[in-house]
Amino acid sequence: MKVLAAGVVPLLLVLHWKHGAGSPLPITPVNATCATRHPCPSNLMNQIRNQLGQLNSSANSLFILYYTAQGEPFPNNLDKLCSPNVTDFPPFHANGTEKARLVELYRIIAYLGASLGNITRDQKVLNPYAHGLHSKLSTTADVLRGLLSNVLCRLCSKYHVSHVDVTYGPDTSGKDVFQKKKLGCQLLGKYKQVIAVLAQAF
Amino acid sequence: MPTLIVCEDANPNSPDCIYTGELIVPCAHIHPESSVVQLGSNFTAVCVLKEKCMDDYHVTANDIFWKTGRVPVPYEQYSVINRTASSVTFPNITLINALLTCNIRMFGQINRSVYGIRIISGLPPEKPKNLSCIVNEGKKMMCQWDPGRETYLETNYTLKSEWATEKFDDCKAKRDTPTSCTVDYPPVYFVNIEVWVEAENALGKVTSDHINFDPVDKVKLNPPHILSVNSSKELSSILKLTWTDSRFKSFITLKYDIQYRTKDASTWNQVPPEDTSSTRSSFTVQDLKPFTEYVFRIRCMKEDGKGYWSDWSEEASGITYEDRPSKAPNFWYKIEPSHAHGTRSIQLKWKTLPPFEANGKILDYEVTLTKWKSHSQNYTVKDTKLTVNLTNDRYVATLTARNLVGKSDASVLTIPAWDFQATHPITDLKAFPKDNVLWVEWTAPNESVNRYILEWCVLSDKSPCIPDWQQEDGTVHRTYLRGNLVESKCYLITVTPVYDDGPGSPKHIKAYLKQAAPSRGPTVRTKKVGKNEAVLEWDHLPIDVQNGFIRNYTIFYRTVIGNEIAVNVDSSHTEYTLSSLTSDTLYMVRMAAYTDEGGKDGPEFTFTTPKFAQGEIEAIVVPVCLAFLLTTLLGVLFCFNKRDLIKKHIWPNVPDPSKSHIAQWSPHTPPRHFNSKDQMYPDGNFTDVSVVEIEANDKKPFPEDLKSLDLFKKEKVNTEGHSSGIGGSSCMSSSRPSISSSDENESAQNTSSTVQYSTVVHSGYRHQVPSVQVFSRSESTQPLLDSEERPEDLQLVDNVDGSDGILPRQRYFKQNCSQHETSPDISHFERSQQVSSVNEEDFVRLKQQQISDHISQPYGSGKMKMFQEVPAVDAFGPGIEGQVERFETVGMEDAVDEGMPKSYLPQTVRRGGYMPQ
Repeated sequence: MKVLAAGVVPLLLVLHWKHGAGSPLPITPVNATCATRHPCPSNLMNQIRNQLGQLNSSANSLFILYYTAQGEPFPNNLDKLCSPNVTDFPPFHANGTEKARLVELYRIIAYLGASLGNITRDQKVLNPYAHGLHSKLSTTADVLRGLLSNVLCRLCSKYHVSHVDVTYGPDTSGKDVFQKKKLGCQLLGKYKQVIAVLAQAF
Repeated sequence: MPTLIVCEDANPNSPDCIYTGELIVPCAHIHPESSVVQLGSNFTAVCVLKEKCMDDYHVTANDIFWKTGRVPVPYEQYSVINRTASSVTFPNITLINALLTCNIRMFGQINRSVYGIRIISGLPPEKPKNLSCIVNEGKKMMCQWDPGRETYLETNYTLKSEWATEKFDDCKAKRDTPTSCTVDYPPVYFVNIEVWVEAENALGKVTSDHINFDPVDKVKLNPPHILSVNSSKELSSILKLTWTDSRFKSFITLKYDIQYRTKDASTWNQVPPEDTSSTRSSFTVQDLKPFTEYVFRIRCMKEDGKGYWSDWSEEASGITYEDRPSKAPNFWYKIEPSHAHGTRSIQLKWKTLPPFEANGKILDYEVTLTKWKSHSQNYTVKDTKLTVNLTNDRYVATLTARNLVGKSDASVLTIPAWDFQATHPITDLKAFPKDNVLWVEWTAPNESVNRYILEWCVLSDKSPCIPDWQQEDGTVHRTYLRGNLVESKCYLITVTPVYDDGPGSPKHIKAYLKQAAPSRGPTVRTKKVGKNEAVLEWDHLPIDVQNGFIRNYTIFYRTVIGNEIAVNVDSSHTEYTLSSLTSDTLYMVRMAAYTDEGGKDGPEFTFTTPKFAQGEIEAIVVPVCLAFLLTTLLGVLFCFNKRDLIKKHIWPNVPDPSKSHIAQWSPHTPPRHFNSKDQMYPDGNFTDVSVVEIEANDKKPFPEDLKSLDLFKKEKVNTEGHSSGIGGSSCMSSSRPSISSSDENESAQNTSSTVQYSTVVHSGYRHQVPSVQVFSRSESTQPLLDSEERPEDLQLVDNVDGSDGILPRQRYFKQNCSQHETSPDISHFERSQQVSSVNEEDFVRLKQQQISDHISQPYGSGKMKMFQEVPAVDAFGPGIEGQVERFETVGMEDAVDEGMPKSYLPQTVRRGGYMPQ
């Protein structure tokens, strides 16, 4: 996917997401002018909610599809292998202000997007014939990208936030197959858990 | 733009073009290099010569001329800017795609192209309009637009799209579909995207209006998939529809559109939209008919109405549960012939209920027959007819249909008693086709009608009338026949009103569902053919080939070379008379029968009119025959009257020597001699007779006549003496040649050579008795006939004695003109006529001969005088008879006075005979 950076869009984030690098990159705030390519729609928050609902409606099926596709021992050892124990996962405070929630949401979506990119890359290698999983991963990633655009548009247009520091999950490119599968399963488990919270928060 | 060098007017190898190896060194340049010109604009090009060429070819800008293709541009459009540059201007340029060349004219009138550009005219793109996008679920977004006018140039359309935070790759429309483009990224819902179109060609670039939308509002969902259609035992009027639909329903609200219809219907019923305005996966449709198969289909879209309706789902059907029959069956009966006395065979028949009235599968029918004041008879029938034997009494029959749920209402039918008189028929019964069905219309009678029974059958000569029927309510007066009617068949329709007490009088009518031309035409034949007319006849076409109501016939007839004549004949006729025909002519006739939909010719028939009308031949032949017969008769009569004359000319009488006689050799046998003469000419062929009667009676006061007679006698004596000297004969031998020499010379000679008669009659003159014995002698060498010796001849003579004296005259003729005495029994008058038929010349000659004969006789002189005094006219005139008679009388008296013994003439001549003296 080719995404052209413009204005306040974090260049590094974009580059990192694009290439699926797993290592978190230091985000340096950029005091740039917040501008978008065209005005944000008035129903932006509603769209964000719908996007979260869309992600939430498919998160569980994605998780099931993933561990099923990984084969044993994953389906029968979900608690051990797929527990949502993800380190450095961005926090979210549902009781915060909309701006704070949007900023935290931005970080979470950025984190999930990067991780999902890594998982998609790994699964195309580990399970090249799991087209259903690949498709669902891609669709989820696309929705996350759209959500990220909406959140950014909202932060920029309403709160004039032009830059947000983000963190990313561990890079799995150097890990073995099982670790890749396990990290992926844990990430999707976390994703299912977090997205439900986010859907409720907005 | 690349430089275009052309050498159109010269061989590339000639000095007119400058080649340096593979490259052509341009001698000039044209500005502008861009050759795309907008239609309707002015275009100016400038050609600038290079100094080297100018020096080499000794040319200046004045030597430049322009061409478009091979056509020189008029000099009026040139303008020499300076020594090296010349321009050309094309005002209001039209659609063009041509080569514009700059040419120079060198020394020696050699032309050379030194530079060229291609000029292409066109239009800049219009701003694309009506940009719209659609996102088919599971597919990528596709946008389309209206590109506007034709540009005549290669124009690129690019669909551009972006989010608020990022831009997507351009979507370039394909050359063959410049009005739409499908992006290559998956749609992301709930993120507004801005889309626009850029159109660009050599003359410019233009951008359409931007549209900004959420792709979810442009989505067209996949149609739902109907899982099942279930009925309910509790309610026979509902069906529950369940389906699965888009995954979108997990995050957006959908609405549905449900339609249904019965299986055989063509129009759909709509479930109220407000009942399906939210996301759901099932719906129960109500108010359906029992035991009816319904077909459903469903579609969906976003609940807010943004986006597009999905396609219709595949149809699914279900059958509602059964209910009791909602209507009583149609019920009718037919009386069949029965030989049993006092009973009737009744066939009760009914129609199966249509599904929408049966409300289920009909298990059986229950029939109840009730006679007045008696027990009912019940029947359970699975068929739709029941034949029962009933008495001649009145019956009431009831019928109910039963299905799994219950019974229908009862249908009641009154079967009247056998002596029931049906009355009150309907009126104004009509039948007509309309909308491919056969409608029947009637006027109801004044009485209240329970229902009507319509029966119909196909009329055919080949098959019997098997009626179909239907029932209509008593309020109906117009309906159509609900059977499987076919076109071109004649239907006999019967409408019977049914009252409380039984059926009324039926009414009948014939009708066609659709008429057609007859299958074949009538076969015409002639019934009678006359000279100028012919009676044609034909049979009515069989009902099976009519295919419609025969409206009229047309008779076509013609001769071999003549024009065809058509005559229309009313359909009720089976005969027609063609008049004004030509006699003795071959006619070809055929006949066509016409219905409302056309006609059909029958086979051609030929006939020939006779030359004569009937009776005409008879009318001609009979009169002709009659005329011929009459003419023949007249001719016969004429010939009969003139037979002697005719015979004379055709068959001259040849004296039969065998019949010759010596008149009388003895005075004692005169009667036999004369009687033999009578029999000698039985047929009366007595021609060319001169009658001279000499009055021998001196008692009569005819002194002049006597003188004549004396003279004749004297002449006769002289002649007689002369004749005797020749042949020994007196009369025949001498007078014969002189009389017949003119026309019968040969026969006369033969006769004289074989039979010589000589009769010497010597009589006295005026009562003077000659002193010399009179004799008569024949010189015939033939023997005498036996008749001369036969005694019967004597008897005949005796009988003749009592006659009126004809014979004596005959004797006279015989004695004087024996050759022509062929008709002894002919009357004196006839003989006179025969004489008169001789021409005058002959008569004169005859007189002379007679005169000469008489001169040869003793009394010839007297006769001579007599002949001289008789004018020729008298001999032919009407008075000749009397005169002859007078002469005869005189002669006869004279003979009586002279005395019989002195004469050799036959003694039978007692009156009027010539008596020798």
